[in-house]
Formats: sequence, structure tokens, C-alpha cells
Amino acid sequence: MVNLDTVRNRIRNWGLGNSPWLVHYNSGSCNGCDIEILATLTPRYDLERIGIKLQGSPRHADVLVCTGPVTRQSRERLQRIYDQMPEPKFVVAVGACGISGGAFRGCYNIMGGIDEVIPVDVYVPGCPPRPEAIINGVAILLKQLQPQRAAEIDQLLASEFPPVSEPVDIEYQEDALNEPAELLRTH
Amino acid sequence: MNPQSFLELIESNQYEWANTTNRPGQNRFDIDVADGRLLDAVAAVTGLCDCYLVAITGLDPGVESGQLWVLYHFAHRAEVATLRIILPREMPIVPTISHRLPSASIFEQELGEVLGVLFVEPGTDDPVYHSRLFIADDWPEDVYPLRKDFHGLSEPA
Amino acid sequence: MTTTQATERFIIPIGPQHPALKEPGHFEFSVEGEIVTNATVRLGYAHRGIEKGTESRNWTQNMYLLERICGICSHIHSTAYAIGVEQLAEVEVPPRAQAIREIVAELERIHSHMLWLGVAAHDAGFDTLFMYTWRDRETVMDILEALSGNRVHYSANVLGGVKFNLTEETAETILKGLEFLEERTHHYRRVVENDAFFLKRTRGVGMMTREDALRLGVVGPTARASGVDRDLRNDAPYIAYNEFPVQLITLTTGDLEARFLVRIDELLDCYRVIKEIIAKLPDGPLTVARMPRKLKAGEVISRVEAPRGELFYYIRSTGGESPDRIKVRTPTLCNMGSVVTQAVGHNLADVPMILVGIDPCFSCNDRAIRIEGSINRRHDHLWSWSDLRQYGIDFYRRQLDYSGEINT
Repeated sequence: MVNLDTVRNRIRNWGLGNSPWLVHYNSGSCNGCDIEILATLTPRYDLERIGIKLQGSPRHADVLVCTGPVTRQSRERLQRIYDQMPEPKFVVAVGACGISGGAFRGCYNIMGGIDEVIPVDVYVPGCPPRPEAIINGVAILLKQLQPQRAAEIDQLLASEFPPVSEPVDIEYQEDALNEPAELLRTH
Repeated sequence: MNPQSFLELIESNQYEWANTTNRPGQNRFDIDVADGRLLDAVAAVTGLCDCYLVAITGLDPGVESGQLWVLYHFAHRAEVATLRIILPREMPIVPTISHRLPSASIFEQELGEVLGVLFVEPGTDDPVYHSRLFIADDWPEDVYPLRKDFHGLSEPA
Repeated sequence: MTTTQATERFIIPIGPQHPALKEPGHFEFSVEGEIVTNATVRLGYAHRGIEKGTESRNWTQNMYLLERICGICSHIHSTAYAIGVEQLAEVEVPPRAQAIREIVAELERIHSHMLWLGVAAHDAGFDTLFMYTWRDRETVMDILEALSGNRVHYSANVLGGVKFNLTEETAETILKGLEFLEERTHHYRRVVENDAFFLKRTRGVGMMTREDALRLGVVGPTARASGVDRDLRNDAPYIAYNEFPVQLITLTTGDLEARFLVRIDELLDCYRVIKEIIAKLPDGPLTVARMPRKLKAGEVISRVEAPRGELFYYIRSTGGESPDRIKVRTPTLCNMGSVVTQAVGHNLADVPMILVGIDPCFSCNDRAIRIEGSINRRHDHLWSWSDLRQYGIDFYRRQLDYSGEINT
């Protein structure tokens, strides 16, 4: 006898073996974390390179990347977006506000952290966290979802973002007009 | 118009709606407006020159004062003239200035929602704003977070 | 397009939310055919209760809170606050600190305008331009990080001065970076002025006359694109703008294209003024010797030119360690009304660009839009921002049959 739920889960997990789809929601943040999340999509960081896609609709998303201390008005919207996501679904809370309300803790109009409203799987601290930290947080989740790719993901991250232990030289492309977009930073 | 003249113009006029005046700084002029004379005051100040309404500040000077204040800030270049009206805390009703200055409506709405000041059509008791722009839909009625006696909602959110 | 009468109020909120409407929406548009006949807005999603929060934090702690009103323009918020508090405390900040504050303020303007340029490009359908501008913007982020240690929320100010110095080495880094950015900015200007699809979406769209701009209380580059000659850096110089002034950049065309050009030209002026400050940076201490912990009673008003326009702070002290009241009026609040007014009479397809033209300071991704009336035979009345954005791109693509770089 086949348990349909198990089958569906396995198909779903197989689906996650390809590119998980991310949806992003701002629950009232100052936009600091959001612009660093957007920056992860730009050529310098290129989140999509590790096998993840940011797209618009929660109905097709696997992962919700959420920022903000959850204002009262946005809480219902956050809940609805979470409810619209099909199982299995995962949540990454980005930034100090997403974790505990951050600098706004105690302010009258905030819930004080995303896990006051929906369950959170990964917390990425920072105010805001750097794009590398955000990618790292997503990678942690990805390794859970796709354990068969864990080593590959680690290697991708190690080669693209080696640990910075000394001051970094900032280089500028002389010929930027004619070249395709590339990483500017050298290590 | 040379930089000094906006405030000098105000200062040189004897406005019968002005109660007390104060010059807290070189570029600032504060005027307390007599009860019920807000619209005259706004008309007079905006008629002087190319000044604009910068913001409207609502303020609770404390429960014991029995008052709520509304400050209208008008600027010309570096100079700011502030009209202050003092409202009884139990009945803070103010005529809207948004017919003359459309940009005032968003400032009035914000103030009204967080401080609990009621803006009415001039000469009537009809409220101007009927629904919420800033405060959450499920925020309780008659609870004004910016008042000094608000210390957080006691009910769980 | 006709303008509304002066007697009409232009902000009419949507709520309370209709039970049939599953999600609270930011905007509500009524349409007849392609034309918007009514527009309303609902704010409050980013309302956190900060002003009340300042009353239970001391003067120093408030610096960190107020910086976080906005992650894109955090320095200008902390500068407006610091200037106000320093006035109350009657201290005079040393000239080197003021100059460094100005450098950071202009660097912030650069990063903000470039961010906006990318977002505007994305909303118009130019994803490649978005990628280029955000890649180039990384240069500014690197500079800010080199100066302050953080890419966002650089926290340059302390009450009475600045936290970090500008060394010779960092100055060199900055100058090199600016040289690169200047060349790139000239490229963007050429794209904006010459690309046929871009012009179709911006030239003559979202017209706002000077009279409208004044009547609606619009501020910043949005106002300056309509011939309003207000810029607080010139009108009421603060920090080091007396010693290192900026150019007033205005246009009279008043359309979306003008709003692009004003911001791009402001970028070029930012590069110029930063170079000038670095060349003539005054020596001296970075902070005042002492800042009092309690401030004497009084009220101050602080007005500064944020990247989006005039930022207003009113600060009241009753002699304690915490403020009695801080009122913050952001520039986006002033400009929001103009969006709903301008939308009426325009094609729905122009609405995304009209909104983006004011450089709105809320997150780009989560706006829900409600459409009343049948459009495109869509029966689902609730649109996401990307639905509306895509609608605009498709509308103009059909018009122009453009086979260029419109990425969906």
C-alpha cells in the first residue's frame, strides 16, 4: 500500500533537490536587510549560483526569507503568505529585527520577531547581516534540504567567499562598459 | 525675498489672533494662536510669502496639564514659524486646514490616529477622516499610543 | 491630464479592510479600461512606534534607534537628530567632524540614488541596468565599509561629533572609487536620455507642474524635477555645507524623465563635492570635549536634505536624560500624496513608474495592489507588485515592439 502523503513528500523532496524557490517578505523592516538580500542577487554575490531562485509568488515557494520586527498591520499578511506556501516549507529570519525585534524591541506596534507569528528554521543575525551572511544562512538551510549536496555547497561557498582575514584591496574595472558583469572584489 | 524677511514680516504684523510670541532662535518664531483662530492664522502666515507647511507635530505635554498641543510648522528657506494651538485634553477638536493646504491631510491623519485629535470640517462637527491610514486595522478604538498615559497594550497582541 | 481641485483632499485611506479582501493592500486603484479613475493608499505596514520608543531611551540610545528608521538613509536621520541635540546642548561640533559628516552624507546620497536607479530600472523592465547599477553601487558600499566598518547603518555620528577619522589611505580609496563611479554615471545618463523604450516610459509621463508640486507639498528631487528650487543644503546649510556647498539642480519639464535626470546630475555633483572636501579637509578633533547627559529644557527643529527630500525633526526636552517628544517627518510621507493624485488619469501601466519616481522608502517587494474594475479580463482583483510591474512592461512592449533587454 502506498501512503500518498509519503509519495508526495518524496516527490516534493526530489523537487527540492533541484532549485528551491525563495519568496521574500518585509514585515516592517527599515529596508536595511532587504537591500542586502537584494544585493545577494547581484553579480557580486549571485545567490542563484548555489542553486536557489528568488521569485514572487508564495504559492510556488519552498522558502520564505523574511525581514522586519513584524508590525501589527503586516502580521496578518505574513500569516497569509506563510499559509499560502505548500508543504514542506521553511522560513529564514534575516536580521536582528526578525530575531527579536532588534532595535525596536518594546515599541508598541511590533510583535517582536518573526517567530512570534510563524515558525522559523534559520536565523541570520546582523543589523543588517552582510550578503555573505545571508547566503550562509540560506546555505545552512539548503544543506538540510539537500543533504546529498552538502559537500558541493560547502565547496561553492569556500571558493566564492573565502574567509577574509586581512584588509581587502578594492579594484575597479577600467573597461566596465564593455565587459559583462563580474565580481569586482579580489581576495 | 531675502532670507531674513519671512520672520521679520511676521514679527512686524500685529496679529489679533496671536496670544504670545517667542523667538527661540535666530531662524525660529513661535506663536500661540488664540482659541478658534487657527484658520485665520494659517491664512495670514501662508499669505505672507512663498512659505510652505513643513510638518504638523502633535504633542502631549502631560496628563496633569489637561492639554494636547498641535504645532504647525511653516518654513521659508532657513526660517521656521511655528503656530501652536492648545486643546483641552477631553475634547481635542481642530478644524482641518487641508482645504487650503492639501499636503496637510496626511499630517493631520497621522496626528489624529496616534494622539487622538479629531479633525473636523471647518465650522462643523463633522469628522474629516473616517478610516485609518497608519494605525493597524485591529488596533483598539480610543487608544492613542502617543499619549503619555499609554504604556503598551495590556491584551496579548 | 487635469489636476484635482485645491479643495479636494487627496489621501483617502482604504480601510477598514473589506472582509472579501484577503490581504491588506497598500494601494487601491479603480480603472475604466486602461485609465485609472481613482487611487487610494493604505500605509502603516512599516509603522513601528518609534517616536514613542524614543521617550523611553536616553539621548545616546536614541541615536541607534533613529538611525534605523531607514536602512537606506540612516546617516541623514542620525545627523538630523545629532544636530538638534547639539543645539539643545549648546555645543559646537568641530569642523573636521562636520566635514566628515558631509562626506558620509553625500556618500549615502550616492548609494541611495544608485539603489533607486537600479530599482527603477528593474520596475521598468531593464534588469540588466539594475544589475549594473547595483554592481557599481558595491563600490560605494566598500567605501562606507572601509570608513565605518559596516555597509549599512554606518553609525558615523556620536552626539558631538563623529566616530571615525578619514585617513590618507581611505581618502585615496574614496577618490579612486569616485573616479570609477563618475564614468559609470555618465553611461547611465546616456542610457536614460537615449534608450527608446526607457523614454517611452518616462518622457511626458507623470507630469507635475511647478504649481502642482507646490500645492501638493512635494519635496526633494521629485520637486526639483518640476522646477521647485528648494534644497536644504543650500537654503539652510547644516554640517559643512556652508564651506562645501552643493549645486542646486532643477529642471522644468516635470515628467518622469526629469526625475531621473535630476538624480543622475545630483550624483555627479556628489562626486564633485566629496572630492573638494577631501582636498580641503580641516584638521582638528573629531568630537567636542564633553556632551551633557541631561539636556536643558527646550525645543529644537532640525531640517536636513535626505536623498529623498526634506527630512524634519522636532525635538523637545524637559530637562531629562530622555527626550519628551521627538517628531520625525520623512520626505516620502510628503511625496506619497502626489502618487495617488498623479495616478488618476494615467494608464494603469504607468503607475509603477509614477510610484518609483518619488523614490518611495518602503520595501519594493511586498506591496499588494487592489484593482477595481475589469482590466485585461482579470477576475482576480488582488495584484502583487510584480503583477503590476509586469503589466506595465507588457503594455509598453506591445506598443513599441521592443526586442531589447526587457527581462521578465
